[in-house]
Amino acid sequence: MSTEHERTLAAVHQVAAERSNGSLLCATQPHSDTLHFVVDRSAMRAVTGGLVDHLGARFLISVGTDRRPLSGDFGVLHIFSLDRDHLYVLVESPIPADDLRIDSITPVVPGAAWAEREFQDAVGVRAEGHPDPRRLLLPDDWPEGLYPLRRDFPYNFRPPADDAARPKLAGAPAGASVFPMGPFFPVLEEPSYWRLFVEGERIVGCDTRLFYNHRGIEKLGDSVLTYSAIPHLAERICGICGFIHSTCYCQAVEKAAGIEAPRRARYIRTIMLELERIHSHLLWLGIAGHILGFETVLMQTWRIREPVMWLCEAICGNRKTYGMNTVGGLRRDLPDSVRPELLRVLAEVEKEVVAVREAVAGDSALHARTQGVGTLSEETARSICVVGPPARASGVAIDARIDHPYAAYDEIRPRIVTEEAGDVWARVVVRLGELAESIRLVGEGLSSIPDGPVCAEIKDEIPPGKIGVSVVEAPRGEAIHFVLTGGDNRPYRWRVRAPTYPNLQALPAAIRDGNIADTPITLGSLDPCFSCTERVETIDRRTKAVRVFSRAELLKMCRARAKGGG
Amino acid sequence: MLVSKVREALICLKAGRVTLGYPFAPNDPKPGFRGKVTVDPDLCFGCGGCANVCEAGVIVVSDREQHYRLLEFFWGRCTYCARCEEVCPEGAIRLSGQFETATDDARDLCMRLEVFMGPCQRCGRCFPPPTPLDKMMTTGFRHGLEGGRA
Repeated sequence: MSTEHERTLAAVHQVAAERSNGSLLCATQPHSDTLHFVVDRSAMRAVTGGLVDHLGARFLISVGTDRRPLSGDFGVLHIFSLDRDHLYVLVESPIPADDLRIDSITPVVPGAAWAEREFQDAVGVRAEGHPDPRRLLLPDDWPEGLYPLRRDFPYNFRPPADDAARPKLAGAPAGASVFPMGPFFPVLEEPSYWRLFVEGERIVGCDTRLFYNHRGIEKLGDSVLTYSAIPHLAERICGICGFIHSTCYCQAVEKAAGIEAPRRARYIRTIMLELERIHSHLLWLGIAGHILGFETVLMQTWRIREPVMWLCEAICGNRKTYGMNTVGGLRRDLPDSVRPELLRVLAEVEKEVVAVREAVAGDSALHARTQGVGTLSEETARSICVVGPPARASGVAIDARIDHPYAAYDEIRPRIVTEEAGDVWARVVVRLGELAESIRLVGEGLSSIPDGPVCAEIKDEIPPGKIGVSVVEAPRGEAIHFVLTGGDNRPYRWRVRAPTYPNLQALPAAIRDGNIADTPITLGSLDPCFSCTERVETIDRRTKAVRVFSRAELLKMCRARAKGGG
Repeated sequence: MLVSKVREALICLKAGRVTLGYPFAPNDPKPGFRGKVTVDPDLCFGCGGCANVCEAGVIVVSDREQHYRLLEFFWGRCTYCARCEEVCPEGAIRLSGQFETATDDARDLCMRLEVFMGPCQRCGRCFPPPTPLDKMMTTGFRHGLEGGRA
């Protein structure tokens, strides 16, 4: 093991040295599983291309940092994972403050497309040669030249709104028509706008505008909150996998500061993470049934899910937002009194899940809607760096619990569930398989949980300038948190990547050549919604006069109506 | 096909009625539930530890006069993390089981607690009573029910 590990380290060093062609500025190993290279920006594309081509590295995320108060420059950091070798490879380039550009790596690493657009928006480092350098993160009416993640940008600054701003979206190719979906449509609670290009029923392409829900959480983390306050905010990044984000953040800080969470805390984290996976997969299964119009699945899976939520409430005081994690361990212990209840509920859930699985497995109506729909080939999944069940359903056997063991997964080993077909049905099968596996893991964790404290005592201040990368396998895929510690009791830079980030980038490929009717289940969304939030057009039937209501007028009418109680 | 439909029907039939009677029947949360924050005015001696750890910054402490300290809880933005409950040395703050907090009056989401403090003769600032005996003498003095009963 150790010699193999050393051989891998040597191979990574060799690739970095060869590809950087003499411009490797610094190579360090901040943690046993993390390699950190600093290269000149001219060599960035060559080095990252070499990592992917020669070592099969998987792109995780990019971090753009304004380091002017520290060293007078900016930094762009690309994070890669060598899954088989349990290794993170960080490649960083300093960017002089008077010349903010770097070669885009998207031509060699397609999965980096959004990440590069994001640092372009947030700190203003231009990715040269990016195939699609449009705005990704910021709203359309955000003024040019304002970069919210720069250190001199106040966290509560609001630029003036401009209702006339529109996203720059591509037009339909010749012969195709535009079919708009969103930004609001009835099934998904979150806004996203998909412009489908269709020839008849067949989708030939699409363009998209997302990030309507961007809340500036990273900015709050490095300007307002403290180390111990961030877990409570991290928990609110996602309504379903809150514990995953707070665990991921705490692990990143623990790693950066060299704090070891006690064994018992790691076991309880594992148990809570698996409980979250159980209820999340049941929720997803219900939503999938709902999108297909099969409401029985929704009703029954959510009924099965409910006792798990009650269990979480008994353990920590709430159904969601558990408030358990803190840097160094946990704030509350797992009470012994819930153990029998936990085992009883899980046994019941397992029995019900088996019944549901047997029932839907032979349902040909369900097969007709899901098999061969939204297919993602293994090759595409790999190149766009898809994660989680969609990746495993396409035969990419990655799972952060195995590739980068955290919490107690080094002792409680999960079995990876993969499928080859890559269609929606394969994703259902993978999730059902993982459900059974999670129930087994909770049982195993409970039986081998050690006694002891649940929180490490932190005596010293967290040292500034340290790096921590942490990955947690959420029900949707892996979540990544990157922390660069700062001196004022808060991170200097906190970077979060949720699992949907890479997975959404794969959707254009998955819905291509499909039917419009199959898009909702592939997309996880339903009917195109024609309610236009920007304006309403009324036509007088007698005179044929057209009157267009602006957004401001509509708002005024709605408010007047609401006040009048009508 | 038919077999799976029968199986699906059986799952539904076996489940029976699962809808709870709430809101027509009470549905109390489990013990340990983190609901609306409550303060016992007889126990609080105004140390301000809760304001120090509040992650959302909803607890504001200010010394109004030489004689009393004002604790304001703007708990409409409370995240229910229970850090205040954890650090309160007197057990004055509890997160109750109350979860029906919807209101049409924003003032309902604010709580004021005026704690009588003996001011320092020298600097004029408030300080917690030095001995348990002093505490017994001072707690309970309030500016009427309006401010004191949170």
